[in-house]
Amino acid sequence: MRAAPVGESPSDRVRLGLIGVGTRGNLHIAHLLRTPGVEIAALCDDYEPHLQAGLARVKGAKGFADYRQMLDMPGLDGVLIAAPLYLHARMCLDAFSADKHVFCEKSLAYTIEECQAVADAHRGSKKVFQIGHQRMFSPVFLRAFELVRNGEIGQITQIRAFWHRNGNWRNPVPDPSLEHRLNWRLYRAYSCGLMTELASHHMQVANWFLGTHPASCVGYGSINYWKDGRELYDNVNVVYRYANGTHVIYDSLISNVFYGLEIQIMGPKGTIEAETGRVYAEHPKPAPGIVQLINGLENGFFETVPIGGPSWVPDLKKDTKGSLLVNEKITDDGTAISLAAYANAIRSGQPIPGMMEQACRAGVCVLMGQAAMEQQKEIAWPEGFRE
Amino acid sequence: MKDIVISGRRILREVLIYAGCFVAALAVNVYSIVQFKTEWKELFTTLHITLAVALVFFGVLAVLRGIVFCGRLALRRKAG
Repeated sequence: MRAAPVGESPSDRVRLGLIGVGTRGNLHIAHLLRTPGVEIAALCDDYEPHLQAGLARVKGAKGFADYRQMLDMPGLDGVLIAAPLYLHARMCLDAFSADKHVFCEKSLAYTIEECQAVADAHRGSKKVFQIGHQRMFSPVFLRAFELVRNGEIGQITQIRAFWHRNGNWRNPVPDPSLEHRLNWRLYRAYSCGLMTELASHHMQVANWFLGTHPASCVGYGSINYWKDGRELYDNVNVVYRYANGTHVIYDSLISNVFYGLEIQIMGPKGTIEAETGRVYAEHPKPAPGIVQLINGLENGFFETVPIGGPSWVPDLKKDTKGSLLVNEKITDDGTAISLAAYANAIRSGQPIPGMMEQACRAGVCVLMGQAAMEQQKEIAWPEGFRE
Repeated sequence: MKDIVISGRRILREVLIYAGCFVAALAVNVYSIVQFKTEWKELFTTLHITLAVALVFFGVLAVLRGIVFCGRLALRRKAG
C-alpha cells in the first residue's frame, strides 16, 4: 500500500500536527519530512526540550505545549499521536471532536473502556483513523499474510511470538522529578509496559492472521531482574486462547537478547518467521538424488553408532534455511509506508478499512494479558465489545 | 634439470580414462535418481556434481594405478 503520486498544488498537501515529540515522534518527523505532499504544520509537547528539538528540525512548524490549542489551529487536516499510552484515548476523542483525522501510536488506549470510547467516537466521526501497527503495511508481513491466505502453511495451529531485549528500558533523566514523565513506560499509572509497548505489535499480527480476537488469556509476569523501583514487569508470559482452539503464546523480557524478536506462525504444512522474513516448508523439496546418495555414504562412514543409546532420533529444531518471503532488501519496517498511506487516505477522503478493528483487537488483547497477570486469573474477551 | 615430456598418446589415454570415470559417475547419478525417485532433469541440473564425482573416481583410479605401477616396478627390479 503506497501513497498515490501527489502534485505541487497546495490543495494536494496534507497538513499534519504531531502530538508528542519524543523518540517515536522524532522518527515520525524523519519519515514525514521525506513523504511527498505532507507538511508538518505543528508540533506539540509539554516537555520543553523535546518541543524545541523538534521545532529545530521542522522549519516553519508552530509549537504548542497544549495539544488542545493545537487542535484549534486552522488549516490542520490531521494529527499524529505519539504520546504516553494513558493519554491516547483522551487525545483521540478530542481530535475527533475537533474534526481532525487521527493517526494514533500503539497501543490504542490505557483501558478497555477507553478502547470502546475511541471506537464509538470514530464510528460517529467518519474521519480517517489509523493505528501505529506498521506491520500491516510491511511488504514482508503482507507477503506472509498472502501465503497464509493461500494455504501455503495449512491451517494456523499455533502462533508463538516473543520480544527480547537486554537493557533497563530507561531514558536518561536530567532531574529526578522528571522520572515518571520521561520513563512512563515503567510505571503503571501511564502504561502497561511490555504488553502495550511491545506485545501489541505481535498480538495485532496474530489477530490479523487468525481473522479474529482471542476468547481469553492467562499469564504470569514479574520483576525478576531490573529491581530498580519500576512498577511494571520486566518479563511477561501470556497464552491467548482463540475460539477455534488455536493458541497464541507470547513472552517478552528485557534481560536477555539472544533470541531477539520473532513471530512464528505454524501450520501442518509450514512455518513462517515473519520478523526475519522466512518461510520453512514442513516437508521441503528433497535434495537431488546424487546429493542424497553422497550424504548417505558420508553418514555411513562418519556417523557414530550409539551402543546402548536411545533408538529414537531427538526432535531437535530442523536446520533448514527456508526461503525468503520477499526477495528484495527492505529497510522500512512499514512505518514510512503507513504514514504515506495515512496522508493519502486524508487526501483521497478514503479511510483504510479495518484500522479501528485491528487497533481495538490488539489494544484489548494486551490489556487482557496485563489483567490476567495482575489478577492471576483467566481473563475473557469483554462481552459486547463493539469494534 | 630434466624435462618431463608428456606424449600426446599419454594425454589421450588420460582423457579416455576421465571420460570413463564420467560415464561411471553418470551411471551413479542415474542409479540415485531411480533409488531416491527424484526428477530425471537432475542429469543436467546436477552435471557439476557429476563432473566432481568423476574427478574423485579419476583420483581414486590414479592412486590404484600408482600402486600397480610401483608393484610392477618392484617385481621387475627383483627379477632383474
